[in-house]
Amino acid sequence: MNNVLPSPFVIAEAGKCIGCKACELACFAVHNDHNGVVAAVGTVTVPVIPRLHVVRTESFTLPVQCRQCENAPCAEACPVQAIRREEGTMVIHEESCIGCKGCAMACPFGAISLNKAFSNGKVVPQIQLKERQHNAMVRSAKVIAYKCDLCRTRDHKDGAMGNVPACVEVCPVGALSLVHPDTSVSRSRTAAAMRL
Amino acid sequence: MNRFVIADPDKCIGCHTCEVACVVAHAGNNMFLQDESGADFYPRLTVVETDEVTAPVQCRHCEDAPCANVCPNGSITSKDNSIFINQDSCIGCKTCMLVCPYGAITMVPAHKGGQKQLQSGLRSNTAGAWRSKERIVANKCDLCEDSGKGPECVRVCPTNALQFIVPSQIEDSISRKRLASAQSLLQFGGFSRL
Amino acid sequence: MSYKDPIIHIDEQLCTGCRRCAAVCPVGAIIGEPGHPQTIDAHRCVVCGQCVQICTAYAADNESTTASRAVKLQERGQLPNVREPLFAAYSSGDIQKVKAVLADPKRFKVVQCAPAIRVSLAEEFGLPFGTLTPGKMAAALRRLKFDRIYDTNFAADVTIMEEGSELIGRVMSGERLPMFTSCCPAWVKYAETAAPELLEHLSSCKSPMQMAGALFKTYGAQLDGIAPSDIFSVAVMPCTCKKFECSREEMSVDGYREVDLVITTRELASLIKDQGIDFIHLPDEPFDSPLGKYSGAGSIFGATGGVMEAAIRTGYELITHEQIPNLQLDFVRGEEGIRTAEVQIGELELKVAVVAGLKYVDAVLAKVAEGTCPYHFIEVMACPEGCVSGGGQPKLLLETQRKMAYQARKSALYRHDSHQKVRKSHENPDIIKLYKDFLGEPLGHTSHHLLHTKFVDRSFKEEMS
Repeated sequence: MNNVLPSPFVIAEAGKCIGCKACELACFAVHNDHNGVVAAVGTVTVPVIPRLHVVRTESFTLPVQCRQCENAPCAEACPVQAIRREEGTMVIHEESCIGCKGCAMACPFGAISLNKAFSNGKVVPQIQLKERQHNAMVRSAKVIAYKCDLCRTRDHKDGAMGNVPACVEVCPVGALSLVHPDTSVSRSRTAAAMRL
Repeated sequence: MNRFVIADPDKCIGCHTCEVACVVAHAGNNMFLQDESGADFYPRLTVVETDEVTAPVQCRHCEDAPCANVCPNGSITSKDNSIFINQDSCIGCKTCMLVCPYGAITMVPAHKGGQKQLQSGLRSNTAGAWRSKERIVANKCDLCEDSGKGPECVRVCPTNALQFIVPSQIEDSISRKRLASAQSLLQFGGFSRL
Repeated sequence: MSYKDPIIHIDEQLCTGCRRCAAVCPVGAIIGEPGHPQTIDAHRCVVCGQCVQICTAYAADNESTTASRAVKLQERGQLPNVREPLFAAYSSGDIQKVKAVLADPKRFKVVQCAPAIRVSLAEEFGLPFGTLTPGKMAAALRRLKFDRIYDTNFAADVTIMEEGSELIGRVMSGERLPMFTSCCPAWVKYAETAAPELLEHLSSCKSPMQMAGALFKTYGAQLDGIAPSDIFSVAVMPCTCKKFECSREEMSVDGYREVDLVITTRELASLIKDQGIDFIHLPDEPFDSPLGKYSGAGSIFGATGGVMEAAIRTGYELITHEQIPNLQLDFVRGEEGIRTAEVQIGELELKVAVVAGLKYVDAVLAKVAEGTCPYHFIEVMACPEGCVSGGGQPKLLLETQRKMAYQARKSALYRHDSHQKVRKSHENPDIIKLYKDFLGEPLGHTSHHLLHTKFVDRSFKEEMS
């Protein structure tokens, strides 16, 4: 048997979330080594671009993020194969992304957002593409798709406690979980059998 | 973010009306002044028909347009939330055509005032005779910017298979999907115990 | 000058009502329904800034409903070129005023930094937790055009001389015991608000920052031959409440404000960045003499238990006239909570307690009110691990790093202490000189005039104008 295990993913639990946005901030913090973002807020020189999004309404608040779909519509929509499955995670290769917005439109969760790319605390310019600004042709900012990658490239020197994504780790009320579908379903199944 | 036109393959019936409308819209009045035998039909979107799908494909006006990023002389630029080819300065290197992942760029003879444009210097030997070579330029969807009326293909499609997308629509759609996906989870829980 | 700005604010446009701030507020000053913007009861608020540290409700760039970033930066007293994200809970900044003063060649600008700044400032420039940078800090301040780089640590040594002498006096007479420390302005404001009947138990000493300020415009002015009116005194503090303390009406000397302005560690970092100073590559430079030279005891004031340890080092020797056998007093070092110890000093068994975190002080105050509190001397710091964890310190992006950060900052303070040649306040040669040339003796007439104060009952609700 050579079955591919279903991808783990992060999911939020309604009723627990208090809307503090610590998950968004942590997500941003651990994905921005290349922008010089370290421990202190003072090291941040780029806009906070999170890869999960706290939805807030009058009656509830809950973060939404990528479900690491097995038949990922985002990857299907990508014309340049910039979205690939790596070690069980759907990863956007930002350097290949051409900002076509296809993935963002294809995702039914709204888990993908397009935003400017930053490196070394500065906007990444286009290679050649220019636009007119104040009577001069200037290289515009590269725009890329952002989504949850389960912190797969996270540098665990930052005091991470285990192999869980930063959002799960910092949530003060335990509203976020990293679920491994195969083990969790087998647990539910065993529990169901016990009840028979 | 850029605007663009996109098709719904479930609605498209493969009638090619969009292609005709595109040609008419870009030819202006001069279309009918062309010599019939040499009349050019170069739509900026192409209806693809296969066993599985029928749909027009056109430029997505990518934020990081690969075509623009490989253009050697800055003939493809970003303008009013769209990607625009300046055919007057295009040198016909074909690289943009090659790198476009949508196949949305074609190389076509340049026209001005209904007439094919010829090179001023470059000559080519055709059937033993030296003639000025015609100019060949990159051609793609420009959202019918010059008409001021929006994309003609969208207007003419009999099944409304084509949609003109503006940036706020994408943002609104992402927000709506986020809200819906959060709402869908409201009655479920206990994930942390799994 | 009077207390107008409540200093700690919650931006109602950004607050999501998660109430994590309410959970860390030691005095229950944060009011509101979950899910709705919170407000601060300025009367109860002790301005410790712990809410500022915990808040994660940042302003997303694309939120069209909120006022523009430029407007908010202006409202918050921050420089327009600040690039870090803005959060719902914040403290009012004074950096624009400091910048204006620094550009004025007619003012004689004197600066002091609290002990906890040199162990955390580097974090703002991306260096690891616990990087110790007193030399770079002094170099940066000199490049910011301060005329004298003095230090709060020097005044911490003065505090030990005064407070230690006061304690010895009270223990000998048995009057007004236990004696509480008075260097933490948030604790002082709390005592004034919640337990005004116990104010006589507070040491009459001003905080090291105010003592330093008083000395700059008297002793310092004499040494430099400058008129006190020309001196502008700036303090860099890990603490948001120091902004309140410096504006207290009684904190003046001969009609001059002791400290004209307080900026936080974060504001100093922001100023250094604004001036394009390459902090990481600055050389180590010394502080200016004599008001910038300090002992190891002065430097540990920034950690919980530090004042106690410094006081015991000096108290032991003043009482017994013998050398203290061990300088490292581990029994007063530690984390959030209450620690107690009995210290044998000659004949005297000194009972001490260290309170780290204002929420733990109520139990102690209740005992004092009952007359059953067994201690002689109690150190109280409002913030969980002392000034290293103050509300004006570098704010962390990840809550999971907080323990590690505080631990590293404290270790750096103790490392700094252990590397000093002089580790006891009373052995600091410049302190000896200060008393010989200027103050006379601890608790003497000049000391009383410059370095001691009275506390006020704030239990009534002040009208905020």
